[in-house]
Amino acid sequence: MLTEIQEGKTFNPVVKYITQEKINLYAEASGDFNPIHVDESFAAKTPFGGTIAHGMLNLAYVSEMMTSAFGQNWLSGGKLRAKFKEAARPGDTVTINGKIDCVEQKDDVSYADCSFECRNQKGEVIVAGEAIVKLSSDKR
Amino acid sequence: MQGNTINYEELIPGYEFPPTSYELSASLVSKYLQAVNSAGDGFVPPLAITACVIATMADSFSLPPGTVAIHASQELEFFKLVPIGATIECHTRVAQKITRGKMSMLILELDIFDQGKEKVQSGKTTIALTT
Repeated sequence: MLTEIQEGKTFNPVVKYITQEKINLYAEASGDFNPIHVDESFAAKTPFGGTIAHGMLNLAYVSEMMTSAFGQNWLSGGKLRAKFKEAARPGDTVTINGKIDCVEQKDDVSYADCSFECRNQKGEVIVAGEAIVKLSSDKR
Repeated sequence: MQGNTINYEELIPGYEFPPTSYELSASLVSKYLQAVNSAGDGFVPPLAITACVIATMADSFSLPPGTVAIHASQELEFFKLVPIGATIECHTRVAQKITRGKMSMLILELDIFDQGKEKVQSGKTTIALTT
């Protein structure tokens, strides 16, 4: 958990290596067997040219970073908006970074406005977005 | 999981999918945590709930042949932690359908409630469809 909630504070990055095995495991866990994720011959014929990871798998890594930074405040008072800009593919290493852009007060409650992005090993942005975390009084 | 029950063409703004219930069992949570390589913290990860809801939703309508469906964007708000073993109910509706050339966007809104009818999560999912 972050010890200081202040503007500019960066989160511990999360780094993950994407494999087809992980994608298949995620498909089984979520029930999302869209062939673009799990059927290599189908995916090869699409504009992607091969299978891609579920967007929600990348978002799970974002949530891991946010949980690590804010704990339960994120899990029961978090809000996010994410755009899946590029596909993560088997063999990619994705790195999720984020920071607090500002801390604001609304109706006696503090909120941390954050931004995050997930990039692959080439530096391409795969997921980008914003998150807001409602902070409890002891975190102000 | 439901079978394909409605055609994509029949999904119009305002259409409400039949509510779906899920038991968030220990085995489901354990499978999810293994898939995302996380230790967990005794509660159901909020994104595990979202993932199951989206998968079921996507499975409940059929796409035109040759269409590839991609998750384009996601909005989420978490209100409450859900204990492992709880049952949740999801209400989903079509918010918007947009067509631009060969690309279509289906925007779905979802609200998830616990057994006490308290909202635990809400969200907006944009699915891009391309041929």
